[in-house]
Amino acid sequence: MRRSLFAAAAAAVLSLPAVAPAQTVDDVIAKYVEARGGLAKLKAITSLKAVGKMEVGPGIEAPIAMEQTRPANMRMEFTIQGMTAVQAYDGATAWAIVPFQGKKDPDVMPDDQAKSFIEGADFDGALVDWKAKGHTLTLLGKDKVEGSDAWKLKVNLKNGDERIVFLDADSYLEIRNEQKVKMQGTEMETFTNIGDYRDVNGTQMPFSIEQGAKGAPGVQRMTIEKYEANTPIDKTRFTMPKKAN
Amino acid sequence: MSLRFARPLRAPHCAAPVVALALALPMAARAQSATTPASPFTTDVISGLPARTIGPAVMGGRVAALDAVRIDGRLHIYAGGASSGVWKSIDGGTTFKPIFDKYNQSIGTITIHPADAKTVWVGTGEPWVRNSVSVGDGVYRTTDGGENWSKLGLEQTERIAAIAVDPANRDVAWVCALGPLFHDSNERGVYKTTDGGKTWSKVLAGANPQTGCAMLRRGGDGALYAAMWKHRRTPWSFASGGPGSGLFRSRDGGATWQQLTKGFPAGDVGRFAVAVAPSNPKVVYATLESKAPALYRSNDGGDSWTEQGTATVIADRPFYFANMYVDPKDENRVYKAGYTFGVSTDAGKSFQPVLGAAHGDHHVLWIDANDPDQLLIGDDGGLHQSFDRGAHMRMLAVLPFSQFYHVSVDMERPYRVTGGLQDNLVWIAPSSAPGGVKNRHWTTLMGGDGFWSFVDPTDPDWVYTEWQGGRLGRVNVKTLETRWIAPLEEQGQPANRWHWNTAVAMSPNAKGTLYVGSQFLWRSSDKGTSWQRLSPDLTTNDPKKQQQDESGGVTVDNTSAEVHTTIYTIAESPKDAKVIWVGTDDGNVQLTRDGGATWTNVAANVWKAGLPRGTWVSSIEASAHDPSVAYATFDGHMMGDQKPWIYKTADYGVTWTPLLGGELTGFAHVVRQDLVNPSLLFAGTEFGLFFSIDDGKSWARYAGSDFPPVPVRDLVVHPRDHDLVVATHGRGIWIFDDLTPLRALTVATLARETALLPGRPTVQAPFTQVSDGGEWGNATFAGPSAPEDAQVSYYLRTRHLRGELKVQFIDSAGRVLSTVAGSKRKGINRIGWAMRLDAPKSPPAAAGLVLNFGALVGPKVPPGRYTVRLIRNTDTLTAPLVIQPDPRTTHTVAERAQQYQEAVRLADLMGELTVTTESLIDARDQAGDRIGKLPVKDRVRAMAERFSTSLDGVRGELTSVKEAGGAITGEEKLREKIGDLYGNVNSFDGLPTKSQLTRRIVLDQDFRVSAKKFEEILEKQLPALNEALKGKKLDPIVPKPRQVVKSVM
Repeated sequence: MRRSLFAAAAAAVLSLPAVAPAQTVDDVIAKYVEARGGLAKLKAITSLKAVGKMEVGPGIEAPIAMEQTRPANMRMEFTIQGMTAVQAYDGATAWAIVPFQGKKDPDVMPDDQAKSFIEGADFDGALVDWKAKGHTLTLLGKDKVEGSDAWKLKVNLKNGDERIVFLDADSYLEIRNEQKVKMQGTEMETFTNIGDYRDVNGTQMPFSIEQGAKGAPGVQRMTIEKYEANTPIDKTRFTMPKKAN
Repeated sequence: MSLRFARPLRAPHCAAPVVALALALPMAARAQSATTPASPFTTDVISGLPARTIGPAVMGGRVAALDAVRIDGRLHIYAGGASSGVWKSIDGGTTFKPIFDKYNQSIGTITIHPADAKTVWVGTGEPWVRNSVSVGDGVYRTTDGGENWSKLGLEQTERIAAIAVDPANRDVAWVCALGPLFHDSNERGVYKTTDGGKTWSKVLAGANPQTGCAMLRRGGDGALYAAMWKHRRTPWSFASGGPGSGLFRSRDGGATWQQLTKGFPAGDVGRFAVAVAPSNPKVVYATLESKAPALYRSNDGGDSWTEQGTATVIADRPFYFANMYVDPKDENRVYKAGYTFGVSTDAGKSFQPVLGAAHGDHHVLWIDANDPDQLLIGDDGGLHQSFDRGAHMRMLAVLPFSQFYHVSVDMERPYRVTGGLQDNLVWIAPSSAPGGVKNRHWTTLMGGDGFWSFVDPTDPDWVYTEWQGGRLGRVNVKTLETRWIAPLEEQGQPANRWHWNTAVAMSPNAKGTLYVGSQFLWRSSDKGTSWQRLSPDLTTNDPKKQQQDESGGVTVDNTSAEVHTTIYTIAESPKDAKVIWVGTDDGNVQLTRDGGATWTNVAANVWKAGLPRGTWVSSIEASAHDPSVAYATFDGHMMGDQKPWIYKTADYGVTWTPLLGGELTGFAHVVRQDLVNPSLLFAGTEFGLFFSIDDGKSWARYAGSDFPPVPVRDLVVHPRDHDLVVATHGRGIWIFDDLTPLRALTVATLARETALLPGRPTVQAPFTQVSDGGEWGNATFAGPSAPEDAQVSYYLRTRHLRGELKVQFIDSAGRVLSTVAGSKRKGINRIGWAMRLDAPKSPPAAAGLVLNFGALVGPKVPPGRYTVRLIRNTDTLTAPLVIQPDPRTTHTVAERAQQYQEAVRLADLMGELTVTTESLIDARDQAGDRIGKLPVKDRVRAMAERFSTSLDGVRGELTSVKEAGGAITGEEKLREKIGDLYGNVNSFDGLPTKSQLTRRIVLDQDFRVSAKKFEEILEKQLPALNEALKGKKLDPIVPKPRQVVKSVM
């Protein structure tokens, strides 16, 4: 899924390890779009729901749910002991409810978090229509991801952030995404591993996502149990509710 | 769409299994694999096996190179290790991360471009050329602050001492290449590029093939000063200085050079240090290694020189400390590297050591240009920081640069790891600790340069260990007293020649029997009290290689570092105590099969198999499976031969087979054979760690878990826990937990799409409350502890991309207890299972606001036999999983069973409570819905309100309900009480207390009472209410069912 984490943006072209990719960025992205099912089938999906579970610690699992509509509305939830945390974006405001420490009211997300969440809300992900979205892509050539060959793309997002995206060298499906994000003014590096692709409405959707921080032990695993495409989702699901008092 | 939460939730006490990410091969491996693709056992396959490093970072390895810069006021530091790679801090030194792990780890110099802080040049190959120095492979540059590196050639220079850059053009640089230390070469001198390193031209060559550039400084006026130095090491000697050595200057960017001599004394000179005052480019300082060492100053940009002083620090081991700096704002304040940095405030006339406490042997310095009080010092003990010009220092104890020579393990639980470090003592630590192995877990046993260290298997309070030159001692771990036990020559006996890294070995057959080797092999069976000489001189005893008192060149330097013609490795066969192998540094391979009565030198048999004659024997491994089998590594790098030499004999040394296939690179330090699978071998070379599953025919480089191509000096397989423990010379100790899956990996297995691999029985460690992560702050090193969950390993021929991949854990009755998402990498994968049932359901409290922490995890299943089921699309594979109690446990099987039963009962009680609470809340909410549809003074509305209020009353017994605007309400109801009791029972593997057992019965009764009240409300009020609602054409209230699914018992 991290098609939404694919990002892109304009930025300086750095001099990178000498690679002379035979393919261009456009070639690679065309194959990537094709691998996902092609533009027509991607665009035919206008809303998406997913449910699954997330391992938040050894032996600790939380049900998760995601809802998304075009162009960039998204709501995500995870539930522990009947308490549900919500993060959502309605195209204008990114907000969250984090109830675990006694707070049930929504708050506007801090800018750092909002930036990342809004990026994730991009329905098709940054690589689709990347030029129109104002991102910049640089093909860095082939590299290895956990022993497998992959195309390495640098994505400079319009919002100024940078992503490194790895596409499986054979299938062109995304298998890894590395994010550099600024938290409180300091750069943090995280990564996402993506896999278990299956067909959903003629498109390839990942059913497994692992997230981690570079240099820190452990990953957080998410498993999707089910996707549901084109089910109507009410707009209010994405809008920040009023505070109780 | 994204499933990435903006703030990932992590349970703070939980450490999920490490996922190994090997994003790219080291360049060397890439080149090799291109030429020998035959074996399917490659770096891609092996690198999924996770390894963990336990450091330590409490004592350094040498920080050989250093640069820093302020960006927006924040201090960014680049620290280069002698064999530890480049580490970067962007927070002033609080934390560091390695940014050079794919490349050569020996760092000679780091230069940040003064006008573009993201452009950084790294010259590899440390220039402080002690006996153990590593080897570089050229120049690298990043233009994005270290994210990506370009390798820019000059590979054969081996050592780069300095890189100067043009502040006005980031593509112009001058490289000061010291060149090879152990052989003649013209790949040295000063090189220049004007195109960012695409092309190079040599602008200053040495006068002979031993003379290279030892220091290069560029003044503010553009003048270049290059110190050329003639030098050479052999295994038995060092020579510094002689014709070719001298100081040179170019004022035209390197086009022409002039030797600077005016004011310097005549005669042979050695290594210069040179430094230009940043505040005045005409002021240049130089120290001169000569028979009359002194510091000189020039006030005219090097045209003429005046002797300033002869302070001791000026002459400190020139080959090691020829480095100097001038304060950015004060041309008379000079820092000279040495045993500590000497500081002069009078232009070098006199020096005092910097006052701050730090490990000695200071090599490199960074001075903040805007605030010269702020210093960083790179030294043999690591990286030190001062905010008051060195008066006080703090160690940045987060860099795991420790340079181990050897490692051994004992049989404690967890087993301990002990070994000696280059210039950093001998240490011991547990292999695992709650919350991670931290600096504070390491205890020092002995000083000096540390080498071999063994816990006495007959008395684990004592450790045999040594420092350089055969200083062998027996140290008490508790009192730290040392008995020096090395054998001393008696009257008429020749003196022992003790190597720098004197060979010590423990007998695998007779517990407590100890060997030590000079030119003779010595054995003690009484803890070093007395010794038996087991051999004649086993070396070549070549007198030409025994003249260390003349070694050093211009400055005599006779530590024990060049002692030669000695025994370097000793191995008694685990299968036959009379079979003892000895390897010497001058190339002899000696074997006795009669316990030392007779010896045969079989070295010539190895030479017949291709080994260059006389090559240093770096290790011998006597097979644990067959007394006729031995493996040996040979290291010729000090004679200019860097090939990896590994051989095997299966006939007591008569014939030898080279084992050099696959991805093997780097001169070889050590080879070990697995204790269980004789075809499984491990090898350590100067450039990494290698595995073979076919008895050495083909080797695969390990590059998982961010393991860099670092020197690997020693390896040991733990005989009980089946771990592989790796001693790196630059990155501390690494541990591979459980070799069992690797033992099962065959070429046939590798051909399968999916294979489930066996693992060792899981020892169920007790749950511990210990957590000390936070209070130490971020400036701490913590190596991951051994995994506490059950580990499952499997093999995927290719990356799993499409469809399902999951692992189920099944009990003896066939019930699926847990399902875990599988990792997907090509090659070996490993995942963990927490050995717990699903967490009990917990009802929400208040408005659903407070976590029930005790109930976050499920009951821990008892030891026993379970089944692992790997499901990959249509493939289903199963394997047994054995869970054993911790051998240290004092709980009987029956007690553990009772504890489990009690935990499950409480979990089920919590489940019942949840179902009841949910049903109650649902009924109340339905009532609320109807209330909202009825007018205010309506009678039915009043009925519904009474119903709702009654329910809330009961709810107040079931869970806390107070909302106080925060999580800490202090309110405790059944939910909180049961959760707390459950958590306490579930976190201890022994019998619950009587009080706890009674408490469960009380809480159970309390719950039944409340539940009955709920039922009574439903019975008494609901029929009438629903009838009344019907009259209002409103839906009846239908309570949710309250059936509970019982846990697995």
